[in-house]
This record gives sequence, structure tokens and C-alpha cells, in this order.
Amino acid sequence: MATISITGYTDKVSVAPGEEVCFQVSVENSATADFEIVRLIHGDEHPDGPGFMEEVLPSSISGSHPVRKQFVDTGNAIVVEDPSGKLAPNGPLTIWGYVFPTTPTKGRQVLLGRFSLSETAGYALGLTAEGRLAFWVGDGTDTDEIVSDITLVHHTWYFVAASYDPSSGRAILHHEAVINPYNGRLGRVAPFDHTSSVEQKLRVRPTTPSSPFMWAAAQNSAPVRGDFKDFVFNGKIDRSGVIGSALSLDEVAQLRAGERVGPAIAEWDTTEGYGPDGIDDIVRDVSGSGLDGQGIQRPVRAMTGYNWSGKHDDWRVAPGEYGGIAFHDDAVMDCGWEPTVTWRVPEGTRSGVYAARIKAGETEDHVVFFIRPTAPTAPILYLMPTNSYLAYANEMIVHHVPVGQAIGSHPAVLEDREADYYQDPRYGRSTYDHWTDGAGVCYSSWKRPILNIRPKWRSSAIGTVWQLPRDLSLIAWLDRYEYDYDVATDHDLATNPDLLKGYQVILTGSHPEYWSEQGLNDLEDYIAEGGRLMYLGGNGFYWVVSYRDGEPEFMEVRKGEAGMRAWQSEPGEYYHQTSAERGGIWRNRARPPQKLTGVGFTTQGFDECHPYHRMPDSYHKSVSWIFDGVEGEVFGDFGLALGGAAGLETERYDLELGTPPHTRLLASSTSWSDNYATVTEDILFNHPGMLGTQSPTVRADMTYFTAANDGGVFSTGSIAWMSALPCFGFENNVSQIMKNVLDAFKKPGSLPGGAWNQEEKSWT
Amino acid sequence: MSSDKRLVGRRALRPAWPVNTARVFRRRRWPFTKRSVLRLTGQYNPKTLKREMVLVDKKPLFWVGGLAALFLIPAIGGNERFLALFGIVCIYAAINVMWTLIIGTAGLQSFATLATVGVGAYGAAYTSITYGVSWPIMLVIGLVLGGGLGFLISLPARRLDGLYYALLTLGLSEFCRNFVTQSEALGGKFNGALFGVPRIVPSDLLTSRAGQTLAFATTFVLLLLALAVFRWINGGRIGLMLKTAATSKEDEAFASAIGIDFNRARTWVFIVASAALGFIGAFYAAYIGGTSLQVFSLDLLLLMLAMIVIGGLGRAEGAVIGTVIVVFITQWFVDWGPWRIILVGVLALLSVLYTRNGIFGLKDQLREIRQRRQALHRAAITSRYAEFLPQQAPDIHDKSVIVGRVFERNLREQLRAWITPEVIAEHQAKPMGQHTDHLERILNYFRKAPIPDKYVVYCVEPFAAYRVVALSGIPGVPPRIVDDRVYPSLDEAYHAVFLRRVNDLRSS
Repeated sequence: MATISITGYTDKVSVAPGEEVCFQVSVENSATADFEIVRLIHGDEHPDGPGFMEEVLPSSISGSHPVRKQFVDTGNAIVVEDPSGKLAPNGPLTIWGYVFPTTPTKGRQVLLGRFSLSETAGYALGLTAEGRLAFWVGDGTDTDEIVSDITLVHHTWYFVAASYDPSSGRAILHHEAVINPYNGRLGRVAPFDHTSSVEQKLRVRPTTPSSPFMWAAAQNSAPVRGDFKDFVFNGKIDRSGVIGSALSLDEVAQLRAGERVGPAIAEWDTTEGYGPDGIDDIVRDVSGSGLDGQGIQRPVRAMTGYNWSGKHDDWRVAPGEYGGIAFHDDAVMDCGWEPTVTWRVPEGTRSGVYAARIKAGETEDHVVFFIRPTAPTAPILYLMPTNSYLAYANEMIVHHVPVGQAIGSHPAVLEDREADYYQDPRYGRSTYDHWTDGAGVCYSSWKRPILNIRPKWRSSAIGTVWQLPRDLSLIAWLDRYEYDYDVATDHDLATNPDLLKGYQVILTGSHPEYWSEQGLNDLEDYIAEGGRLMYLGGNGFYWVVSYRDGEPEFMEVRKGEAGMRAWQSEPGEYYHQTSAERGGIWRNRARPPQKLTGVGFTTQGFDECHPYHRMPDSYHKSVSWIFDGVEGEVFGDFGLALGGAAGLETERYDLELGTPPHTRLLASSTSWSDNYATVTEDILFNHPGMLGTQSPTVRADMTYFTAANDGGVFSTGSIAWMSALPCFGFENNVSQIMKNVLDAFKKPGSLPGGAWNQEEKSWT
Repeated sequence: MSSDKRLVGRRALRPAWPVNTARVFRRRRWPFTKRSVLRLTGQYNPKTLKREMVLVDKKPLFWVGGLAALFLIPAIGGNERFLALFGIVCIYAAINVMWTLIIGTAGLQSFATLATVGVGAYGAAYTSITYGVSWPIMLVIGLVLGGGLGFLISLPARRLDGLYYALLTLGLSEFCRNFVTQSEALGGKFNGALFGVPRIVPSDLLTSRAGQTLAFATTFVLLLLALAVFRWINGGRIGLMLKTAATSKEDEAFASAIGIDFNRARTWVFIVASAALGFIGAFYAAYIGGTSLQVFSLDLLLLMLAMIVIGGLGRAEGAVIGTVIVVFITQWFVDWGPWRIILVGVLALLSVLYTRNGIFGLKDQLREIRQRRQALHRAAITSRYAEFLPQQAPDIHDKSVIVGRVFERNLREQLRAWITPEVIAEHQAKPMGQHTDHLERILNYFRKAPIPDKYVVYCVEPFAAYRVVALSGIPGVPPRIVDDRVYPSLDEAYHAVFLRRVNDLRSS
């Protein structure tokens, strides 16, 4: 029997009781699957903890449901709907554009055209497998082509044009490079002569396919699967158009010079549409024909165009130089699967981390989602860092980053599911990966199966759990000590700015790394107005993300010129398409994490985790209550994450970076191995001595400070912290500290330690 | 460094010339086809990045030159004997080209070639003598008879393999010879000689030089037609399909699996080639004014086989050149007597023993020999120095690979010296965390290795069973399992990876 595989996703990140959640599921080699709704309690299978824990919820969808295999149409394109048939190949035409191929030799690619491979019909301007410009025509049975005599050079802007007259069969193909000192990989000193003009008679007259005109793809079709994109282009396309006459080479030269030549059928100005909040996915036709195009799988805009002068590095200043639209053949934003099962969450369902547990044969998958409360039901809110989950969604670093094992400081540890996925990464990539042409992935999406937003998942690079399965340890701990708490997500904060206001205390996840400006503002307002934050992780509040209104599942990240980053945006492309903000780390936008939480990212390493040592501040009566019941100076010398509570990615107290001056340094962990390296944003000159055994900034700091109106912030400064909670049956000094702080924070009114006693007064 | 040019080899000679990109490149095509007249392509000269135009396929030039020589040498300079000889060359070459289509393209071991020619010749001659039809009708009759016979002989090809089919078709010639001998109408009593057919070029003209040249020209046209048929079939879709199933039973199975009905394609090729052979037979009868039993003889068949073998099986140019050589030896040097036959036999034997595919396979064969010697020579040197040679550098696109290799060699030499039992014991005791300086540097080198064939741990069962695998580095290609050992803990698996890497470092 063939192996059964199961995967899926939900239509939204979180739902409230009374709302519906839809499961979009694909199952191979089984016609039915058993569904259960489960509440996830613990996700780390490390033998020192309680193991995987879930709670089955009686639900209306419990039981067997018919399922089928669903396909993914990967790759970007722009689809131009043309109901009146203006782009049908009825007469002479010229098709032109500015293109920037990044993988010209990957195999045939379509730049602009209307071609159906399954019908062998239509016309298209594209690239041959060797990277030559070509114009293809198909008449339903046969095809013909005119091909340039020279290959295109990658990462170089070209003006390309093909003109064709069906009455004579004469076709002209022309390309020339558009190179300035800024706009491409190579400068003008590389003595390429990129110009080519070819003329030839075509023996086939194109007929009209049923597929639409597309940028960057042709249409194909297969039984069972149906229609899909093929010959998908990697690279950028700028302004383009279709003209209703067969231009001569002289007229093509006029076109290149910017003149209007011939009767325009369509003229797409990719720089139209920039506004104060960025730009949408519509490519506007300015010819008056109304042939606007719609971007598919979110092509990347706000990219430099063929005429980028290099004077401005920001599309907001010079939108006319930002006509580039980047296409990638492996981009996936929305699988668009048919709904398999829909569940209405009953009123009164407690908020939490949930999943549809889907089983068929021996195979099982958990499709995770979150249930938020309609209104606060408890003083505690656990804010799940779903932005950061998305950033890591389907991360595959160890498979294509040679230094991955050096960063991880040990050999990677692969599991079946990951090894299988890398063989066919059809559900898209994470913001830690690169698209096939080497460009960094700047979009991530919820609307696709995500292998690592699953309980039990262990990161191959890190060798421990990462994100959600670690964050579940806090759920198990809260349940174990019977705290009343609500669960909500970054996505809920984005749609409900008042979310935090109803709570006494906010708990973060272990690695809340990615934040939108609005989310940060809300959290800062909350603390400043008297809210309390328990920041229980490391490397938090670090990267800028943004969403477009009405599309909360699609997240944009641009990695700037600093930060511990898997890639860096190309020069001039640091500004987000969906929010007009500068991307990168918040520290470089004058919001270092220290300003909010007292601590900020300082080092990462994945060989060992360490205990904390109490610092003198912690004995001060204003904060010593945090350590009630903790014996000795050392705590957290255990954990499911490499044996300690301090480690993986950690934070430091730094007055220069905005740690509030009255912050107490409660504890610290230092003297780590050389596998813990100084973060790049702290490096100006790189020099020997930047690693753990020699650099004092390689450490983890635990801090506490109070805010106005009885507010307060407790920060642990370490990702591994949460993984120490489940050790010894949840009864340990880390757990004790957590209880001390949470018990104090969840109570309204003044915080402990506010009133000084006589002894303290003599301290200063 | 060695100055022995012989060992280094040379680049393939591809004519290239500079391009003026301001001018339009007009690509011309052969009439009624999508094929360009010459396969020209542009390139950036790797040394200068200058644009040049390259002739990718020189064959059309050789064909034009070769055929022009074949026509002009006898037409301009030849005497009567020379013209007649070249007439025979053209006819035999036409037959061999069709035979090549059957053996090479269709992959059928058929020896019914001359039988088909004979049937065409006798059929056409008989109808011409009996009913007085003119030579164009004779050609049509030959075509039809050849096609019909081809259909009949193709039937057993579906059932019989290789040798058995060869024997069957060989028997057909003998059958035809007997048939003719027994048949009164086909000149049985004159030992199969059936003459008196009106010639294409009337006999009275043949006494003149112009007439002889005209007669030769008809054979040349016949050869051109045969080559056209060959090109049409072998270079067309059907030829491409048959190449998939060309060499072995496995190929046939593969071809079927991807939906190619190779049996049908073979039958089609066989019938077309047979029709052409029948046509050639009829032409032959109309060319010499009759036919004789020699057409069914085994010695002629073997002689023609020798032509194909010497020229190179499966290639039209091989068939033509082989024919020229063998016909010249046997017909021009008639006074050599039996030595001619021995010479042909020796040539055929040499061709079979020492060439992979006749004269026209020699070029590839020599190139491979050169490449092999080049590789051996380089391997001998690289194993001594572990670096690239000057003559390798032009082939390495990214030059940082070269300096990377130098760095790598120095580093590896240093690290190798640091590998001691103590270092290995230190790693075994504690694979993670801070180590002594030497071990830390060795580990950093290991961890930064490129992805292809990089070791990783594979989790069979979390916290219970781990193995060592190596990544492929290629999306879609799963990791390679390096051995079947299972380790109960991650630390043991980490150490197993370490030992493998140490071993690789030492053995390099």
C-alpha cells in the first residue's frame, strides 16, 4: 500500500467561539480520514518533560470525512483578464517590456504572453532553456519560434520586444541591455554587447487559447490536477505593453526611447498605484483598454526598476524608478484548497491552542489554529507570537545554507517529514530561505500547510523544538498550576488594538521576534498605562513586519543591513510593499527591544544552555520577592532545551540601547562557549574575540522594572527559559520564579516590593 | 609543467566570426521546413566577452562539398568507365542509405534489402517487356512492389528477434533467386537475365559523352532522393521516437512506458524504406535496360554489408563513403583479382575490431580517447598537488573555487596534524559545548562544509534511535544513507558524524 500523507491548513489563524473555522486538507492515498478537535497542551517530546499532551474535545466534526489529494499551483504571475478578446492574436502585434532575468538558463520561461501548453496555442515572449529571448506561436497543433542569437545575462535589465505580422509571417525579435552603475549585477565595464535583432519568417499562425494573457507564466493542464502555471519566470519585469501593429526595428527603437508608437492595445505602467500605504497587486493598464492585471501568489513589488538611478533608496521618494515586479517560480501564498471540513466553535469553548487531529491509517497530522475569547475571561493573556511562527514557516536552512551547521554548532538532525518536504517544497518557504533564484523570501503566509507549526516538531538546525511546540510548555505549566488565562495571537492584536487592555498581565512566547509597528505601539501603550508584561523569551521585538489591511494571513519581511539574518534585501529594496515602512531590525529604526522590555538580542548559539546566576540587584527587597522559595544563587541548570534555562538566543541589559535606567538586573548567565557569537548589529569592526569565551556581551540577562500606574516588565532574556518549566514535574526553581512573578502580576493594585522597609532604607 | 601538447588535447574547431550587432540577423530557413539553413548561434567569447557568431553544425557544409565532388569529378573529368563506375556508386549508395534506415533508424536486422531491390527490378522489367510500359510507370510499379514486399516482411519482425529475423530475410534472397530460375516469364531459361527494357537515357544516346553524363546524373538524382527520404524519416519525429528505443530491450520497454509505439514506427519506416528500395530496383532496371540474378546473390549482399560497416552503421554519410570506397576497390582495381575482395574483407574486419562505428564514428572515438588521456594526465598531476592546473582554469567559471582549493588544502593539512586520539576522545566525551582550541577549529571546518554530501543526523525515533545520512544538496534528491548503524542517543550520533568526517579528512 502506498504511503498515506496528510497535511492542511485553516482559513484563519484564530477564531472566537461562535465563529467558523475551515480546514483545507489534502490527503494522498486515502479516501477518508478521521477528524478530532484537540486542545494542545504540551508539544516537546523530550524525555525530561511530560511528553506530548493533547485533550480531545467532543465536537460536531468528530469522525470520518471524505478527503482527497489537493494540488498547489506554485509560482508568481500576473493574470490579465480580457473578456473582450483584445489580446487575442487576431492581427499584427508587437509585445514589449523591460525584464531582469535572474535564472535565464533554468528552462523555458514565459515573460509576457498568452500561451496554453496543453492546447499548443497562443503567443508568448519568453526565454529558451539556454536563456535566449524567444517569441513563440502555436496554432493548436504545431508551434514555431524566433530565437535571439545570444543569451541574456542574469541580473541585468533588458528592453525586449517581438513584433509579428501574421499576413507575411515575418517576425522581428530585439533586445538590448539597459545598464547604469546601479541597476544590475554588472557594470558597464564588463564588455558585453547585449544587443540583438533577429528577423525570420514564422510558419505557424497563432490561434487563441482559452487561457488568459499572463506575465511570467504560460498555462498548462493535466488530468486530475486541472489547470496550472508552467514555464514560470524568475526575475523582475518592469513596464510592458502590447501594440496592435507589427513594428519595424526603427519603430522598436522609438519605443525604447520612450515614444508612443503604434496603436497600444495595452500599456502596463508598473509604477502606477503607489500610495501612502504601499502598493497592491494590481498592474495598471494606462492605454485606456482597461486591461489591468492581477498579481498571483503575491509577486514582490516596491522593487527597483530598469531605470533605478541609485539616487534614492526608497520607492516613496521616487516611485517612477520602482517599476520592478519580482516573480518566483516557487512562491506560494495561498494554496487555495477546497474546504474539507468546517467547524463552528461552540459558545463557551475556552481559548487556547487547538488543532484538528487528522488520522488515516498510520499517518497523523495536527492542523493548528487558535481560539481566542470573545471578551477577556481571565486576568492573564498568553499572546502567541504568530508573526514569528509565520516567519519560520517551512524553514529549511540546513538543506541549503552551508554554514547552517556552524550556526547550529552541531550536525543537523533531520526527521522524515522534513526530509520528504525538501524533496518537493511545494508549500512555499520561510523568511529564512531563498527562492530558487537566490533572492530572499520576503513573504510568508498562513494559507498553506506549515510543517513546523505543529506540536512535536523539532528544528533540524537547532536540534530542539522551536516556536510553537516550545511555547506549548507554558500552556502545560499554566494548566498544571490551574491559572485562568486567555490565549490570543499577534494576528488578533493586529485586528483588535484594544486586545491587551482587558488584562492584568501579558505573557509572551519564547521567541516573539517579529513585530508590526501597530503591535509594538499597542504593547508599549499597554505597559506605559500600567499593564504588566512577562517577556519569557529571547530575541524578541526584533524584526519589522507588516500586513496589508484585509489580508492578515500574508506577512511581509524585508531584512535590512543589520541583524542576524538569513539574507539581506537588495540595495534600494528595504521599504515594505504593504506598509511603506523601512524593513529591517527595529533597533535600526530607533526602537531597540531594550526600550520596551529592558533587554535586547545579544547572542545566539545552539550547543549548550546554561543556568542563571543571581545578581546583587535581586536581593533588593523591591524585587527579592521574585526569588521567594528559590534556594542558592544558581537556578535553571536544567531544561528540555540543551540542559539549561539560559541559552539558544538571549538578551542583554544595555543602557546605551534604552534599557530604562531603574531596571534591576536580577540574574545573568555568562562565560559561554565560542559557539555563541556576538550579534552582527553589535559589530562595527569585526575582530578576534567576538565569541563567547572572550566577549562579555555573550550572555543572558534577566531584568525587572516597574512602569507607571503599577505597570511592570519582567524579562527572562532567553528562549530556553520556557523549556525549563516542565522539568521535574513542573516543580523547579524556574517554575517557582514564574509563579512568584505571575501571582504578583495578575493581581490588580500595587506590585510587591513597593513599600520599603527600614533595612532597605539603610542600603542607599 | 608538462609541455606535451599531445596529452592536453585541443578544443573542437568551431568556426566563429565577429558580429556587428547594429545589423539585423536574418535567419533563413529551408523551404517548407522550420529548419534554419545553417545552424548559427551567437556567443560571448569566453576570453574577451566579444560577441561572435558560431557555426554550430558544420555537417551541411561537408554534405554540400562531398556531394558536389561526387557529381563534379565524374561529370567534368571522367571517361566512360569513370561515369559508369560513379553511376554504380550512386545506385549502391542509394540502396545502402535505405538499408541504413532499416538497420539504423528502425533497428531491424533485415537482409532482405537486395531481395526488395530485385523484386522491384524484375517486376518493373517484366511489366515493361510484357506490356511495354514506359520508365516512369516502371518506377511506380517498383515503388508499389517494394512497399508491398516491405509490408509482408515486416510482419514477422514483430515476432522474430535479431538473428532469427536476419536468417529469415537472408533466406528471402535465396527464395527469390530460385523463383526467378524456375520462372519462364522472368527469364528462367536465360539464367534469370531479363533484358530489353527501354532505358531512361535511350541506348543510342549512351554512346555520346553527354548521354553518359546524363545517365550518371540520373543516378545522382536517385541518390539525392534517397538521402531526402533518409533525412525525412531519420531526422523527423518518427526518427526521434525510434532513437528512444534504439539500443536495447530496456530502451524498448522505456519507450513503451512513455507511450511510444515503436513497433508501429518501425513497421512504418520499414515499409517506406522498402518502397524506396523497390523504386531503386525499378530505376536500376530502367538504367541498365534490364536485370539479372546477380541482384539476389549473396556475395553482392555481403559486399554491401561491408560498405555499411566500413562507413559507419546508422549514418547516411557512412553509407555513402563506404560505398565509394568499396565500389572503387572492387570495380576500379579489377586487375587485382581476388585480392580486392580480401582487401574489402580486411577493411570491414578492421572497422569492426578497432572502430566503434566505422569511419564516421572515428571522430567521436578519437575525441574520447583524447579526453580520457587528458583526464588521466590531469588526475596524475592533481593527485600530487591537489590543486588545479593552468589548463583546467579556463573551464572553471568561478575562480574563487581555485583559490578556495588552495586555502582548503593548507587548512586541511593543518587540521590533519591536529587529529589525535586525545582529540577524538575529547569529542566522544562531550560532542557539544566548548572544546580545546584544536578540536574547536576542526569542528568549525567540518560544520562549514558545503551541502552536497554533508553529513547530518537522521532521527529514526526521537530520543531513541538515530542514524547518519548525507545530504544530496539537490532539491528533490533525498539524503543518502551512509550505513546501517543505529545510535541510541544524539551524542553518539554526533560523534559518529565526527568520526566519519575525521576519516574523510584523513583519507583525502
